[in-house]
Amino acid sequence: MIVLTSESTSDIAQRSDDTDSLWVRVDQLKQATGWQLKPEGVCLGEICVPLFEPEREAWIADADDWVWFCYSAFADKIGQQHVRDGDVWSLGSVPEVRRMGLESGLAPDFEMTDRNGDTVRLSDLRGRKVVLFTWASW
Amino acid sequence: MNLPVWQELYESIGPDRFELISVAEDSQGEAAAGKWFDRAKPTFRCIVDPTHRISSLFGWVNVPSGAWIDEEGRIVRSNEGVFPDETTIKFGLGKVRLGNDAFAHATRDWIERGPESEFVWSAEELAAHLKPVDDDTLLAEPTFKLALHFESAGDSERALRHFDAAQHLAPDNWNYHRQGWTHKGTVYAALQVLKKSAYLRKNTDKNYYDPMELPGENHRRFTEPEWFWTPAVNGLKRLLRREPSAA
Repeated sequence: MIVLTSESTSDIAQRSDDTDSLWVRVDQLKQATGWQLKPEGVCLGEICVPLFEPEREAWIADADDWVWFCYSAFADKIGQQHVRDGDVWSLGSVPEVRRMGLESGLAPDFEMTDRNGDTVRLSDLRGRKVVLFTWASW
Repeated sequence: MNLPVWQELYESIGPDRFELISVAEDSQGEAAAGKWFDRAKPTFRCIVDPTHRISSLFGWVNVPSGAWIDEEGRIVRSNEGVFPDETTIKFGLGKVRLGNDAFAHATRDWIERGPESEFVWSAEELAAHLKPVDDDTLLAEPTFKLALHFESAGDSERALRHFDAAQHLAPDNWNYHRQGWTHKGTVYAALQVLKKSAYLRKNTDKNYYDPMELPGENHRRFTEPEWFWTPAVNGLKRLLRREPSAA
């Protein structure tokens, strides 16, 4: 099963007894989605979404000798758009991250590799003015 | 591709005064964008972005688009159509002249004068430009990503299906349209741009690029060749549509 996010493409395990929902093995959750299960809830950076008992019971399950998290149900809860075709799931941006960005006026941070093989992380360029532009060959 | 002009601007303002980052939004990656970068011999940072990640993050819907980001990481300005000089694009049987030096002039002014520059957006202007998007637009993003995934996997049928879905969900996103149409070839893509432009020009008040709101800018609502709207061609189009003469 493949999970696409804006940051990554992950080829991860699929729960054998339920392929209708996006179940992600807990040990692969951060790699595939960026989120982590913590005692305080499901967390992405400084954002933590508490899990209440009915959700915890429904969305965390043992199967195939692993512990799984029902990410598609969680995505619906936080309003994150997702679309699938066969065994490929594609996740949209996280609304809370978007909202925080819009309210703060801060440029969204990114980390990418340039053509010289160097890492470009926008937040590393604090203290300097940055002009960023896109173009395309098409 | 104005990369040589960007290089001149970068050198003339002074590489020690700012970071210039150029991002190629090309699903074919280095194979499509590499030669343009190589020809320009840029000394600024160059990134190839086959999944259009930067456009998604900044909410840009066309190329070129660009942002000024200050020393504290705040967006100062974010525009479409950021040509650094007049650019002539061969388009079908004609040529289109886009842009002029208005954006380069404003960029130079901001880098030299910072917050004192008259081109810095106020908090209100910034809020008006960085507005939330609707659910369909949010759903279009992972749908487009799905299309790019199948395109890179060589599954053309599924790629086209998801390009089409993304285009319907986000009808104003030219990146989704042009990248998707390019899957069928550059000539097909150019014809589709003309067709969509003609439809929008006739039926809406939308722009291909929104105006930058800079003094003296060369804003064209659509990137069509000049001859496309001459009286003779308009007459021919009416004839083909079997419409009565406007005279």
